[in-house]
Amino acid sequence: MAAEVGVAVIPGQRLGDMDQYSAGSGTYIKQRHIYASLAGYKDIISQAGQLPMIQIKATKASNTLPLIGTVVTAKVLSVNPRFCRVLIICIGTMPLKEPFRGTIRKEDIRATEKDKVILYDCFKPGDAVLAEVISLGDPRSYYLSTAKNELGVVFAKSKAGYRMIPISWTQMQCPNTEKTELRKVARVKYWID
Amino acid sequence: MPIHRNRIAGPEDTEPIENQECQTAILPNGDRHDNRKLDQIRPIFCRAGAVSQAVGSAYIELANTKIICAVYGPREVANKHEFNIQATLSCELKFATFSCQRRRRHIQDSQEKEYSQIVVQALEPVIRLDKYPKSQIDIFITVLQNDGSVLASAITAASIAIADSGIEMFDVAVGCCLRRIENLSLIDPTYLEEEGHLNNESEDDVVVNANITIALLPSLNQVSALIMNGELDGNPTQKIINDCLEGCMRIYPVVQECLTKRLQEKALRN
Repeated sequence: MAAEVGVAVIPGQRLGDMDQYSAGSGTYIKQRHIYASLAGYKDIISQAGQLPMIQIKATKASNTLPLIGTVVTAKVLSVNPRFCRVLIICIGTMPLKEPFRGTIRKEDIRATEKDKVILYDCFKPGDAVLAEVISLGDPRSYYLSTAKNELGVVFAKSKAGYRMIPISWTQMQCPNTEKTELRKVARVKYWID
Repeated sequence: MPIHRNRIAGPEDTEPIENQECQTAILPNGDRHDNRKLDQIRPIFCRAGAVSQAVGSAYIELANTKIICAVYGPREVANKHEFNIQATLSCELKFATFSCQRRRRHIQDSQEKEYSQIVVQALEPVIRLDKYPKSQIDIFITVLQNDGSVLASAITAASIAIADSGIEMFDVAVGCCLRRIENLSLIDPTYLEEEGHLNNESEDDVVVNANITIALLPSLNQVSALIMNGELDGNPTQKIINDCLEGCMRIYPVVQECLTKRLQEKALRN
């Protein structure tokens, strides 16, 4: 895939015809012409067997929203037997300027034995979790899920106040008091190696 | 602070000092009071990225009219009872208390609320709201100095700020204002030309007297807002609208250059 360096364009400028190019991100189509919908640099990417694609490279992506399927980092605010409320602070690797609210329901925490979940043994307020957005949810919050091995708690403090180390996928241990606490731990590469 | 209602108003048949006498719209040599031709727009300065803490921002100056605009979003909707599959656009336009000839209130008055609604109406068809479900885009416009054409420049500033913020748009909306007095069309009027009592050839009885603001989408060649105050005759209306659209087209290259320069600045920083 070869990319050509392009010129600076602003929204509304015509980029090409639909007969010669296909429309990529940051563009829209009107009456068989491709127009820019962002202020950025025009980029033409040649694709094998298809028309070359025009896309606009935006200089920043800080106005991302939690889209369905993205993995987000969230901080647990409150826990209740049916669901826990979280604050989404990062989308992927991009920290947000203003957080969004999310909910992890009891049935979305694990993939197996969903009805036997005790929420307080999975998350506690103050934990940082990796979760996946499964739905836009209701007006108050997005719906998230941690029903995969690589999702779950990545940071938790023990009752004594020290950062805990995972000892299994359901337990974390405080290095200071050596007491174990129950959590739904994420299978993150950092801990496996 | 409460308004002083016990100020003495003066005898009944007196007038406040601020009421100006009727002035001629143009000087004897055919130029306007600030030595412009009838169809001449004031020099424009605009800069994107003026407010560093906002997601997108713009500052625009048309000689003495100075407007700053900041855009925040898409962010979480403040009203938690509505679910919108599209983004909600809201605008708050405020004249700074020192911006006009008479001091303005701290709280938004009806004119500012009306202008805010017009800016939303002008920009709603332009922004790709369907790309940002369940979120809110807020535009904050502050008029630092009012010397006419405020609504038109506010629309232009808001478009530049939104383009700067990386929110997808179909086109930029460019605003231009025109004052019609009898058979004279004054493009981009100053405050005196907009609000003052003007006459033409020393006739006090002016029949055709209107102020038109148009927001044009230059690339799509569509009008997203048209506001008229006053009285216009049917016959020259088409020509008046065309003159105003031409004014918008002349402002468009300035907007293009402003955004292009901002892109180069951002590229150099990275």
